[in-house]
Amino acid sequence: MTTETMGTEDSFTDRLSDYLDDEMSAAERAEIETHLAGCGDCRATLAELRAVVARASLLSDDAPSTDLWSGVEERIAPSRSVLPFVSARRRFTFTLPQLVAAGLALMLSSGALVWVATMRDSRVSPPIVATTQTPPSSATEPAAPETDEPRATRVSFADVRYDEAISDLEKTLDEGRNRLDPETVRVLEANLLAIDQAIDQCRKALRNDPSNVYLNNHFVEQRNRKLALLRRATALTMEAGS
Amino acid sequence: MRAVTATQAAALVPGTRVFRVGRGPESPSACRKESRLRSESPERASTSEGAQQDDYVAQAAGGDVRAFEHLYRTHLPKVHSLVRRMAGGRDTDELTQDVFVRVWQKLGSFRGDSAFGTWLHRLAVNVVIERFRQETTRRQRLHDGEEIFETLSAPLRQQHFSMDFEAALMSLPDGARQIFVLHDVEGYKHHEIGTLLDISSGTSKAQLHRARMMLRKFLK
Repeated sequence: MTTETMGTEDSFTDRLSDYLDDEMSAAERAEIETHLAGCGDCRATLAELRAVVARASLLSDDAPSTDLWSGVEERIAPSRSVLPFVSARRRFTFTLPQLVAAGLALMLSSGALVWVATMRDSRVSPPIVATTQTPPSSATEPAAPETDEPRATRVSFADVRYDEAISDLEKTLDEGRNRLDPETVRVLEANLLAIDQAIDQCRKALRNDPSNVYLNNHFVEQRNRKLALLRRATALTMEAGS
Repeated sequence: MRAVTATQAAALVPGTRVFRVGRGPESPSACRKESRLRSESPERASTSEGAQQDDYVAQAAGGDVRAFEHLYRTHLPKVHSLVRRMAGGRDTDELTQDVFVRVWQKLGSFRGDSAFGTWLHRLAVNVVIERFRQETTRRQRLHDGEEIFETLSAPLRQQHFSMDFEAALMSLPDGARQIFVLHDVEGYKHHEIGTLLDISSGTSKAQLHRARMMLRKFLK
């Protein structure tokens, strides 16, 4: 077979699908049919192509071996009723913007307040309203008598009840963190770290200026925030596990 | 809630099979028309079933998850098989879920101008094509020139002549396989494929022929 003949064969072969699908003019069809009448190879190829098309039409549609509906339902359900702290996978989560915004606000306010407080001359600070020597009944409810002066709380660093409460909550959160969305856990930990850093900053600043009203207030505020965040997070882990 | 009409009776459904056994010089166009009408999509199995599906579509568009589940279960085998063949068996379950999530999101835009099955299958094809475009872009960005491995592995795959036809289909190059599935399995025409894949009809024809020529070896 010459190269020229092979080229001619290829040109016919390449058009067999168009012929099969009736995608050519009458003149082209006539040309192909004339060629087919004298070419056994092309007739065989045409028969094979026809068998392929026939086989394709017999392919059956099969359902997947595993049920995919639950995955679909999880993804479409939240779009109908968005519940706060509830993710699509029945994992409870804070919304990311909320936590990020809270973290940023926390870091900014913490740093700014500590800076303002430490820059102030303690001699012009408002008088401190000292609490009693016993810690407040609850870290979230620091005792402070009514006064016209700025409210301030001087807290003890060794607040046993607070530390116990934090310890218990951290333990509970640690046990249930696998029930929370991983992204929520990541952001939660970042926020707790930011709060701890703020508390640590206050603690160091208070060592130099223990009577500073702003530092004392800020210290209590950050500890209360940590307590509140841990309480909320542990409540969600328990809710997710129920 | 938008109205969903039940006016799909006369439409030919691209998402249905075209039985072309024995087709060729004899009477191709007549065979195609008869075959399409014989191979109805799920919603047209009967008038009452079609009306019931219209109800489900309307209810689902209004937010009824249970109605949507009915639609899902009715069309799942077809969509899953379409996705599996189009995607070459990759991420089939995930893509199928993507399709139905997309359907749920887009139900509000379905006006009933075509059969629901037609609309759904077109949407499924688009989901797969989108994924492939994203993957292609990513692959080109990360592994420029990796196509050489595709070329090298092709002759090896062709040696498995006894391979099941479905498996053979999966082994085709992506472009040829998708066009083969759309044309010979799903019944799309070349100009429709051209629109879907953003290619010319000529390219579609050439790729279809290429796919058939490769697949015929598995039927020997």
